[in-house]
Amino acid sequence: MTSTTTQGEGPTRFVRVGRHPTTVVSVTVVLLLAAVFAVGGKDNGLVTQSIVTGLLLGGVYALVSIGLTLIFGVLGVVNFAQGSMLTMSMYVVYALVSGPGLPVYLATLLAIPVMFAFGMFVQHFLLNRLTSTGSHEGPLLVTLGLQLLIANVLLMIFSGRPKSVGTPFDGSFEMLGAIASYSRVIAFAGAVLVGIALTLVLRRTSLGLSIRAVAANAQGAALVGVNVRRVYALTFGIGAASVAVAGGLMTPFTSLTPSVGEQFTILAFVIVVLGGLGSVLGATIGGLVIGLVQTVGALYLPGTGSLILVFAVFVMVLFLRPQGLYGAK
Amino acid sequence: MTDTTARPAAAHELPAADDPRLKDTWARRQLLVLVAGVAVLSTLPLFLGEQAQSVAIRTLIFAIMAVGWNLMSGFGGMFSFGHAAFFGIGAYTGAYLLVDHGISPWISMVVAAVLSAAVGVAIAYLCLRYKLAGSYFALATFAFAQMFLLIVQNVDALHKTEGFNVEILPSDSWSMLQFQQGDPLYFWIPLAILAAAVLVSILYVRSRAGQYAQAVRDDEVAASSLGINTMRARLIAVALSCGVTAVAGVYYTQYYFFVGPEQAFGSAVSVEAIVPAVIGGIGTIWGPVIGAMVVGPLSELVATVLRNPPGFLSFLQGTSGLDVAVYATLLIVIVIVMPKGIFGTIRDRWRS
Amino acid sequence: MKKIASVMTALVVAGGLAACSGSDGGGSSESGTVTIGSIHPTSGALAGVGGLMDDGAKLAVDDINAAGGIKALDGAKLKLSSGDSQGKAEVGQSEAQRLIADGAVALVGTYQSDVTQNVAAVAERGRVPFVIDVAVDDKILQQGYKYAFRVQPDATSMGTSGAQSLAKIGQDSGTPITSVAYLHIEGAFGDSVFKAFEAEAAAQGITSVKEITYPATNFSDATTQVREAAAAKPDVIVATGYYPDGVLIAKAVSELKPDIQGLYGIANGAFDDGSFPAASGESGQNVLSANYHYDANDERVADIRTRFEAKYGKPMETASILSYQAVEVVAAGLEKSGSDDPEKLREAIAGISIDDPLLAFDGPITFDERGQNENATVIVMQVQGDNVEQVFPQEFSTKDLVFPATAAR
Repeated sequence: MTSTTTQGEGPTRFVRVGRHPTTVVSVTVVLLLAAVFAVGGKDNGLVTQSIVTGLLLGGVYALVSIGLTLIFGVLGVVNFAQGSMLTMSMYVVYALVSGPGLPVYLATLLAIPVMFAFGMFVQHFLLNRLTSTGSHEGPLLVTLGLQLLIANVLLMIFSGRPKSVGTPFDGSFEMLGAIASYSRVIAFAGAVLVGIALTLVLRRTSLGLSIRAVAANAQGAALVGVNVRRVYALTFGIGAASVAVAGGLMTPFTSLTPSVGEQFTILAFVIVVLGGLGSVLGATIGGLVIGLVQTVGALYLPGTGSLILVFAVFVMVLFLRPQGLYGAK
Repeated sequence: MTDTTARPAAAHELPAADDPRLKDTWARRQLLVLVAGVAVLSTLPLFLGEQAQSVAIRTLIFAIMAVGWNLMSGFGGMFSFGHAAFFGIGAYTGAYLLVDHGISPWISMVVAAVLSAAVGVAIAYLCLRYKLAGSYFALATFAFAQMFLLIVQNVDALHKTEGFNVEILPSDSWSMLQFQQGDPLYFWIPLAILAAAVLVSILYVRSRAGQYAQAVRDDEVAASSLGINTMRARLIAVALSCGVTAVAGVYYTQYYFFVGPEQAFGSAVSVEAIVPAVIGGIGTIWGPVIGAMVVGPLSELVATVLRNPPGFLSFLQGTSGLDVAVYATLLIVIVIVMPKGIFGTIRDRWRS
Repeated sequence: MKKIASVMTALVVAGGLAACSGSDGGGSSESGTVTIGSIHPTSGALAGVGGLMDDGAKLAVDDINAAGGIKALDGAKLKLSSGDSQGKAEVGQSEAQRLIADGAVALVGTYQSDVTQNVAAVAERGRVPFVIDVAVDDKILQQGYKYAFRVQPDATSMGTSGAQSLAKIGQDSGTPITSVAYLHIEGAFGDSVFKAFEAEAAAQGITSVKEITYPATNFSDATTQVREAAAAKPDVIVATGYYPDGVLIAKAVSELKPDIQGLYGIANGAFDDGSFPAASGESGQNVLSANYHYDANDERVADIRTRFEAKYGKPMETASILSYQAVEVVAAGLEKSGSDDPEKLREAIAGISIDDPLLAFDGPITFDERGQNENATVIVMQVQGDNVEQVFPQEFSTKDLVFPATAAR
């Protein structure tokens, strides 16, 4: 009885795609950007460039955060290994490109099942017992350990010297007076595709229904016959698979070192909270917003100034709308 | 009154907490263990070489941080992922007052503890005022620690990214807390600080304020319906926690002679406060101390073994990253095998 | 409860003791070996270069031993004890203490400025000479330490000579440079190189028209920063930073195609690194880099690099050569003092003169009263094809300079 009601609430609490926040966010962003153009006192070409760069960077952030929002939203695990999983998928792609000589985007496709399996493995063997007891410091520590482990195993295999992966689509084009490189635009498109695909999976498939049910109320879902442990493992797997897409699409413009992904973990958490736990759309929009804040902000606050701005936005969101843009109270 | 009506749920540390006589024995036993432990540990410098002593001192600093962290996160139930902020305030207060104003670190310890407690209370008040709990509270504290890190890197008076160097004095000085390298005092002082921190924990857990905080942690609604000022109870826990952690920071600067933004406010520092407490056992008096004693030497131990590996493993010698990978694996295994921490798990076994 | 606690304490103490006594003191006194400690980040984010440097130091020790050891000490052999700083200052410190306790008569290291500060303090208090191979901050040697010596040029001298070289390159090629836009990483390193450059450039008639700082973390696209630099219409864009950001800047410059005569790195971690030409592809072509560098025309260097690559399977970068050089400095000190007493060794190193440095320096390695190598300086490299070539000054050049350096773009 209680289970059916809580399950019924699931979708509303979880992937809630109100049109409202999108409008609010886009109007705010457009107004702010217009203000930068009008009274910002910067060269217009430069502002356009920073917006384009910010959006493309935001696409990358979105890709990394989409996986995290599922893991955090459904499992409640603060996954500190997210950045290292990103690094790991980059090296998988690198190995496929430098070894058998596959093109980078084909290698990315192959990395997806590898990382999916890895994610299932991690959840099943390392986290399940801890997540089911509901402690959150346990999983946190395990993922911290995992982060160290991944980085150092990569170091043992590939050494720490920077590696690079070439792309068949080297080069750039001009767009509205701003320069954009092909590989970054492809990564942006990838983010949009992954976002749409995951939203569809969550809304239209029975797996998606189970995931949403477990996110809303694990006990209730178990009562109506959902295999919660399996859903947990699958969710972690999906989270890892979307990181694989991120890693693969980022390799052409990233210098690979065994710790390159770690810097993304913190920003990804900011984005996930900003977007609302478990909301794929929220993570996408959040990624774009943070990308813009960082890049346009850098015009006025050089160096780490723009990062301070990012964290200020984060704290404000936490206080004023802790459920995030797309989370319901 | 609420003192004696504390529910069993809150009584992890209090066997049959509703019997006041028993509780007195509990506190007395903890104090005895503390005195015995300090007595045993204080002989360590006699056995340890200089490098082992430096590892032991690093372990003590971890332990102080973990005990401090545990006050707020274990007994207070507010999971802090930003204790680097308070450690950093300590380290930078000590460095700034000493290097730029020549003020004794002993005074800095008091100043830093008060300052850090005030900042901690302000942050926690904001978080609690806006009803952040669980992971959200953790992420908020994390965000504050990151902001401190970024801000310090941009403030001229704090030397931006350059950090502070403590001047090396020509002779020993008690007032400036500086001795010959390898002097056992470098071990005994943090040991005394740790003992004081544990003493604070014991007294706090026994005190009314501590009982209130644990009651709020276990059931906020019930606690407030009993008339407990939940905000106040929690903020006291936060203030103590941040104060203790800041003292560890002041000592860090003294012992290492150099502190920069990453050493003080980096996210690795927050992790260093959490790991020993979780490994040892969250919300227990001895957990953080035992956890630190395991985690502190562990990476060193692994590195030592792998530096001169036993014969059948000799092919591994000199593989960079291996020691950290083994350390990480051990960490994961400990957490999975002992989800309640070393102290918590062993205690449960012992009782059953 | 009490029982458990005491049992636990006993166990832990015993374990701790066992752990600690594990390090046997292989002191310098036994059977004619002299221990040198090497501290580098062989794990963590900087493990790549840290590993190279540790290997460089090892090779130096092997070479010296193969040539008969320390003659002034009756052919005593050198032994290298390696420490891993993990890139953390406090770990570097305890590693330094371990190595000194194990009988190291000198230390070499450590690549990072903050770790180096900690190790320098340990060496000073432990009265053991510390030869810094790589670490750029001016501040390290401003503490008045007597036991710290640095082989590489400091940030200020790199900024200064970077400006001089740039001015000279402009004059020599008949395209005088009058303005630059400067991109640098945030922090003491970037700031001090930039300030020194700006001052010297002004004296050379070059105006720094724009200074742009970028963060050391979370920096994954340089397009906006480069465009901002280009908007100031400089003759040359100058960049100071580490490897990943350097690659991003080179790529952004080649995408934006600003009307400049070249991209010029000073103390840039990317532009003269062996993996940069492959990583940057077309966009790296003709990029200039003023940095300390091994002397590619020196036969001894060529020989060392060949043997290093054969032995460790990776190319020997400049940082690694500096570690090799630092060990040679210690060895020369031992030869000069004829003693493995650290205090006498310090005296000897302070007055040393090494006439055939492995690096492209202005002269022999000699230390001033701060401990800084007086003749340490930068030369200018340029990416040409798949290689980093030395192009300026003439005496060190392996290929002719291409300037304006935009031809290939």
